[in-house]
Amino acid sequence: MITFSNVSLIYPNSTKTILEDLTFEIVEGEFVLVIGSTGSGKSSLLRLINGLVPHHTGGILAGDIHVNGLSTQLVKPGGMAHLIGIVGQNPANGFVADTVEEELVFGMEALNTAPEVMRKRVEEILDLLSLTPLRNRQISTLSGGEQQRLAIGTALVMHPKVLVLDEPTSALDPIAAEEVLSILHRLVHDLSLTVVIAEHRLERVIGFVDRILEISGQGVARIEVPEIILKDSKIAPPIVHLARGLALPEVGLSVREVRRMTEELRSSEGTGRPERRVIAASTPLFGVSDLHISYGDFPALKGVSVNVYPGQVLCVMGRNGAGKTSLLRALFEKAKCGYVPQEPGDLLYHQSVAAECAQSDRDNNLAKGATYSLLSKLLSSISPDVHPRDLSEGQRLALALSIVLASNPEALILDEPTRGLDYQAKAVLINILKSYSQELEKPIILATHDVELVAEVADRVLFLADGEVVADGPVLDVLLSSPAFAPQIAKVMSPKPWLTVSDVMNAVSSQ
Amino acid sequence: MHPLTWWLASIFGAVSIVRSNSAVVAMLMVAIAAVLVKRFSQNAPWASGFWFSLKLGLWILLIRLLAGILIGTPDFGKVLFTLPQLLLPDWMAGIRIGGAVSQERLQSSIHEGIIIVAIISMFGAATSLTSPHKLLRVIPVSIYEVSVALVIAASILPQLVVSFQRIRSAQSMRGGASPRVDRVLIPLLEECLSRSVDLAAAMDSRGYGSSPVRSNYRKITWSSKDLMVLSMAFCAVFLIPVVTP
Repeated sequence: MITFSNVSLIYPNSTKTILEDLTFEIVEGEFVLVIGSTGSGKSSLLRLINGLVPHHTGGILAGDIHVNGLSTQLVKPGGMAHLIGIVGQNPANGFVADTVEEELVFGMEALNTAPEVMRKRVEEILDLLSLTPLRNRQISTLSGGEQQRLAIGTALVMHPKVLVLDEPTSALDPIAAEEVLSILHRLVHDLSLTVVIAEHRLERVIGFVDRILEISGQGVARIEVPEIILKDSKIAPPIVHLARGLALPEVGLSVREVRRMTEELRSSEGTGRPERRVIAASTPLFGVSDLHISYGDFPALKGVSVNVYPGQVLCVMGRNGAGKTSLLRALFEKAKCGYVPQEPGDLLYHQSVAAECAQSDRDNNLAKGATYSLLSKLLSSISPDVHPRDLSEGQRLALALSIVLASNPEALILDEPTRGLDYQAKAVLINILKSYSQELEKPIILATHDVELVAEVADRVLFLADGEVVADGPVLDVLLSSPAFAPQIAKVMSPKPWLTVSDVMNAVSSQ
Repeated sequence: MHPLTWWLASIFGAVSIVRSNSAVVAMLMVAIAAVLVKRFSQNAPWASGFWFSLKLGLWILLIRLLAGILIGTPDFGKVLFTLPQLLLPDWMAGIRIGGAVSQERLQSSIHEGIIIVAIISMFGAATSLTSPHKLLRVIPVSIYEVSVALVIAASILPQLVVSFQRIRSAQSMRGGASPRVDRVLIPLLEECLSRSVDLAAAMDSRGYGSSPVRSNYRKITWSSKDLMVLSMAFCAVFLIPVVTP
């Protein structure tokens, strides 16, 4: 279905080779996952498939790419519209109509499809993706998960043979992500659709994929079945790390498989709760009580009370629109906090990393170079001359963090810090957060969808639903009581109360 | 309603303003437009277009007035007040800066200013009353670039307001000095640009402009309401100049 022959790609004004001499074939009905660290060229590879690269972005392409017999060198992306559906990282950025129904027909209208055909296909897609109740809704009123489903719908309604998705679940809570992925799984099996998907959170997709295309930087890439790639890949989901840690004979890809392999371990005696830091009941630093916030008629928070204790990492979880950001904003007002917003780039406006750091020194009356040395402590590899927009997501987050920390805040607040971060960047972030809370004895409050992050760093979890607190307690109790929000390791090891690979390893070694 | 109705009606309105050449008629038309926008515009991001065009118009009126007072040809009439005059070289005879300001000159400046503002507000009203996405459906594919630009502008502008607030509040949390305009503007422009590129790429990959003819999911037809609005606007073109004092 998709053939890459000797494909190389470089962008002008850049010495970095994105892809070099890449040759592979994806057959019809295959589900292929593209992995690689941020900036390694995953998005470029996906956009090569329908010719957006190089037709739309520039860049020098050597070699040939054929999709169903059409060469992207000869056919422009518009000419591939009936063949390839592409869903970008931010579906909201690609919408062109007012209502759901009008959005669905936009592509078909552009290709001059007969109205009767359109009507049939729209009904089909509305049913398939359970969008029927939304058909006349304004797009701006849809939730993140609904928008993502609509974006997939607009691609599928063209009856494409190939569906390309770039991080479709990065903005979604675990439940909405599950919904989107199971739809894809069904399409591959029922319609033999070919799916190529890029995703950072492997734990969400790994059970569905047939083969993995790994881009390891410097243009090198390989495509293999997951069992082989994950044996030694740096990028791997928690269950693979578990299998490596326990030296299991093979890597399991689903919770079910790994459970079968670890039956013995789970049935073993002793080893109760893992050692987790217990914050001694002290006086709270600050907090809110019975907080009500509403935007117009929409109540965002209905009587929420939270206290923040020194040195405690508090994670705020909940579905999209549950009121997490509103709560963070309210807590921010209560003390001298440092706040890292969802888009760390919002804090930055200078032309280079050095200038940003210098500005921060001036703003906080610090000695020259103080912010930069803080940044080098967080992440050593950032050159001071780089433009902040050219940093990777992880580096930009580190820069924003060091600017915020330079003001020596009493507490640190982060909103969705792991969005778009790869595993390496996430590991760095986890280290920073842990050392900040333990060494400085200062509280961290973070809102996130990422249960794996919560399992690693949290002391206490606050669960919001519809503006109300539904659970508030130690991380073990809250995460283990809700299957939808339980981390992968907890699902494998249930009923043992272990959340992370290191929990399991500690328990095993203490036996 | 047909997406072209309000646009045609506003063109007719503009023509009748020009033909009648009366400030009273112009202000009356603006008032009618304001009532129509209040009554018919939906709660959409582009609905504020009319009010924005009025604000813009007031600035234009002010600038036009200042220019009219300061610069002009020497004229005669009832002198209201005299400004100090700048001495210009001989070859610029016929133009003067400063000097006597007559009642006639002031009147004509205000008069012209009001007509310009009224014409701008006609188009502002049309933008407020028509969804740009619906307008896109009736624009021929042959002016593809225009339509892409239209959709981008229509989708990005309301987003800009949201992003502006988000970035400004993030900046105020950075600490230090209070957020300055340029600090907000740079991230805002960068975001705006990348969004526009994203949108153009999305339209391209969905086949927009690759077929010379577009089909319509729902036939866009002229209703009796459309005809009523249009015929009233059309009559105005001929009637208003006749009844203008």
